[in-house]
Amino acid sequence: MKQSILSPLILLIAFGATAQTTISGRLTDAKTGENLIAATVEAVGLQKGNVSNEYGFYSFSLPSGDDSITLRFSYLGYESSLRRIKPAPGKISLNVALVPTSSVIEEVVIKANVLEDKVKSTEMSVATLSMREAKALPALFGEVDIIKIIQLKPGVTGGTEGSTGIFVRGGGRDQNLIVLDEAVVYNPDHLFGFFSTFNSDAVKDVKLFKGGFPSQYGGRLSSVIDVRMKEGNNQEYDVTGGIGLISSRLTVEGPIQKDKSSFLVSGRRTYADLITRAINKANENTPDYNPIPDYYFYDLNTKVNFTLTEKDRLYLSGYFGRDVFAFSNESFDFLFDWGNATGTARWNHIFGPKLFSNTTFTYSDYRYNISNILDGFSFRLGSNVRDANFKVDFYYQPNNQHTIRFGGNATYHQFTVARLQFGSDDGRVNFQSGQDFTGMEYGLYVADEWAASDRLKFNFGARGSAWANGPAFYANFEPRASANYSLAEDWSVKASYARMNQYVHLLASSGLSLPTDIWYPSTEGVKPETSDQIAIGTSYLFDKKWLITWEGWYKWLYNQVDFIDGAELFGNNNLENELTIGRGYAFSPLELEIEKKEGRLTGWIGYTLAWVRRGDFPVINNGEYYAPPFDPRHNLNIVALYDLSKRWQLTATFSYKSGNAAWLPVGRMSFQDVPGSRVRPVLPIYGDRNTFRYPAYMRLDLGIVYRWKTRRSEQDLTLSIYNALDRRNTFFIYLDPDFTETNVGGQIIETPNKITAKQVSLFPILPSITWNFKF
Amino acid sequence: MNSLKYIAFSLGLTFFAACDLEQEVVIDLPEYSNQPIVECYLEPGKPFRLTLTRSYSFFDPLGLDSSFFDKTLLNGATVTIAYNGQVDTLYNNPSFDLPPLPIRLYNYTGLNTVPATPGVEYTLGITLPDGGTIGGKTVMLPLVPIDSVLVEWSDTDDTLARVLTYVTDDMTQVNYYRRMLNYSTLDSFPRQNFLVTDRISTSEVFAFGTGYQLTEGDTVINSFFHITKDYYDFYESVQRAVSGNRNPFAQPSPIIGNVQGTANPLGIFTCLVYDRDTTIIQR
Repeated sequence: MKQSILSPLILLIAFGATAQTTISGRLTDAKTGENLIAATVEAVGLQKGNVSNEYGFYSFSLPSGDDSITLRFSYLGYESSLRRIKPAPGKISLNVALVPTSSVIEEVVIKANVLEDKVKSTEMSVATLSMREAKALPALFGEVDIIKIIQLKPGVTGGTEGSTGIFVRGGGRDQNLIVLDEAVVYNPDHLFGFFSTFNSDAVKDVKLFKGGFPSQYGGRLSSVIDVRMKEGNNQEYDVTGGIGLISSRLTVEGPIQKDKSSFLVSGRRTYADLITRAINKANENTPDYNPIPDYYFYDLNTKVNFTLTEKDRLYLSGYFGRDVFAFSNESFDFLFDWGNATGTARWNHIFGPKLFSNTTFTYSDYRYNISNILDGFSFRLGSNVRDANFKVDFYYQPNNQHTIRFGGNATYHQFTVARLQFGSDDGRVNFQSGQDFTGMEYGLYVADEWAASDRLKFNFGARGSAWANGPAFYANFEPRASANYSLAEDWSVKASYARMNQYVHLLASSGLSLPTDIWYPSTEGVKPETSDQIAIGTSYLFDKKWLITWEGWYKWLYNQVDFIDGAELFGNNNLENELTIGRGYAFSPLELEIEKKEGRLTGWIGYTLAWVRRGDFPVINNGEYYAPPFDPRHNLNIVALYDLSKRWQLTATFSYKSGNAAWLPVGRMSFQDVPGSRVRPVLPIYGDRNTFRYPAYMRLDLGIVYRWKTRRSEQDLTLSIYNALDRRNTFFIYLDPDFTETNVGGQIIETPNKITAKQVSLFPILPSITWNFKF
Repeated sequence: MNSLKYIAFSLGLTFFAACDLEQEVVIDLPEYSNQPIVECYLEPGKPFRLTLTRSYSFFDPLGLDSSFFDKTLLNGATVTIAYNGQVDTLYNNPSFDLPPLPIRLYNYTGLNTVPATPGVEYTLGITLPDGGTIGGKTVMLPLVPIDSVLVEWSDTDDTLARVLTYVTDDMTQVNYYRRMLNYSTLDSFPRQNFLVTDRISTSEVFAFGTGYQLTEGDTVINSFFHITKDYYDFYESVQRAVSGNRNPFAQPSPIIGNVQGTANPLGIFTCLVYDRDTTIIQR
């Protein structure tokens, strides 16, 4: 392995034997100035070219000559641009702005087809989201949610009905590295997981890695969700927004100095609390009226960027979001708020046509606070995780055969774990608990994407990671490798291997996303989680329109963390006593995706057949392996968008998956308890975990989009019908004894007369309409 | 924390009911073998008493006829409790607490009463009719008395009062408690019923309060139990088992008892040491 990693690097020494012309520059959107990620440049007829990186930068080399050649720049949804150049020896800098197509149904000739690129790329187990598609798809309450669209990709399982929980290839909810402009987002949820923190108006690009992880990523076992915010329009002022059933959005962007700098401010807020407050006000004099608690959430995204010189660009971006849940009466004043804050300062520098760097400082903060003030007493509970991360990435393209990435990062972590305080104002009563930790996480990586021949490509890499937390120190080597062999122009086979380590762990008390779930660092007792994943696959482009991708994969999981039965999360000064360490595995012989990106009908079909297991926990199920809740054997998703005309678009998503594993009581006992408490004629007895399966989940969502333009605006109305079949999917099942009450000597005795199982569903058919505008 | 879950859950249930989102379903649960269930609280001054029952598969028929007791009570066992060098036999005779005491049924009763001496260790031995054995140990803890019960009247509504209950904790050791609050009578639904430990306390005073919801003439019954860690863990698991069944946000728990043996039993064998105060709200 050592030799195979080094060999492509050694070959670099030999490059440059003939005169070369290196062409480099940035690809941007002509209307907004936004960088275009993964746009294609090719020298027509020469089979030379490249794609732009995540900052819009591209570079490739040609043999020098006297004859002019034509370069074609293209990107899905944009008009291709042709430029003629004379490839004199040396370097040519060429920034190109592509013009978006004017109509959503206009046939776009994209020679450098994105699907062809997928066939040829060494990347596998990757999904990208088009924000245009995302905004057209039907959504719960009309709230466009990129995480819920990611759930529709093969290999990905959503959490419970309507939630943004995400489980990738058998991984846990905390095993996803979710980054917004390179800053970690620790809790991507609003409203207990029903909405994500990402405002679609502020998002430019989303990429999901399920395996074959590039070496620049580390710190989580199962996926990377890389979300990039828009830079802001540096050509003209835009106001975009939308008014929906539960929230409204507004984004303002524009140039600070045309072509040189821009800004973006984007906000979103729910308004149910305005209605509930009015209801409470109207009923304030009603006897025995219980006021409805206040609940709302909001997000604020901001970004500015400056082109300092031809070679330097500076980006500053930030996110702040909060959920607020509050109620009060004459006895107490309760407030629960939680949310993320992130900040990113990023400096791109072009050293030359072959070397590009990105230096980043990020800050991430997730916290929740619960406070309850009673007359003379107060209760406070909170947790917090905070990171400061410094990162340098280099992108070096010595020639067309090699693209080398290398860099490193250092992250300072700070954890406040379940800090609880309860006491009286006079100081006589005082309870305190909680733990504080700090940790340093380091990463160093190098990777080479090597085109060994026209047919064979490799991506070799390695990452060294380390963690220090007091006396606990761990250092790990993470090899990464992937390969692509083209069997034909439109057919390739691929394979990949990746080892990942995770030094922070989410301690979750249930399968549902709760803001009170706790991030906990690796310590001497809690070792880093590790995964190994291998994948093989093939991609076939049928009729230049349909990309068929099959992958099979196996993942081993080590040092998995779970709670022991009866664990106490709060009021505990040593949470580690409540944890148990085990292992896991997941595999799929069949993860299939059929994609279509062009034409009137676009979308994808994804199907996954998979098994997921956890086990070897000494105190759970006697160490035996068991299915975690989100282990669907079959998972089928169909996403379709059909352009009826320039104005009308129909959309649909269909999901079917096997039922989640559930932990239900198997027995019952009578429990008298002590005087003062009530007798429980039916007390549930739980056996082994997750031995029951809920019924299969199935849902059809439909949408209609109507778009129109005026001289000064673009607008649309999006009608979504969530759960169009009005199917009652299982949110949870509980066992419900029905009791008969008997009066014995003045006391009420309850005796069970019937026991049934009750299924609770969350959402019936739910239509919603959203008005979106851009001025 | 738990309040938040219950509030969210209650709001959810209201929504489900309004939208017909709850329906009866037929499910098959995994196989379950019946287990013997022990409930034995040794209360100073009361006879040695124990309830021995059987558990059932969840959907087993209930037997709401004369066979109910036969099916539920596990009779015919040999039950002994050893302490202070002597062994008491509990005979298989049913006995009851009847109104005005909260109704309780015991199917094994001894001839002696439980001494109140703290520190005495008790050892349970049960041999079932099929030869299966059950054993357990516990210890009598000292009483932790309620220091005071204060009635405070609201500043904003002088017809409403609250009750504050104070207890002094021995900070030299880790203690576990169960707090219970009933209005009117002991068989009413407890307004407060929770476990507490001094592991995270930095003051020796514990305070428990009600909201401003009491009016003149109301009766408030404070009970404060000094319990063992075994009982703390057991009752915590009971609460989790109850909430885990109905609350999707809660993590269920198996019953974590302190009885063991070849009979694969569940249950609790513990002493019951408590102070109880009854206060009638008066100005």
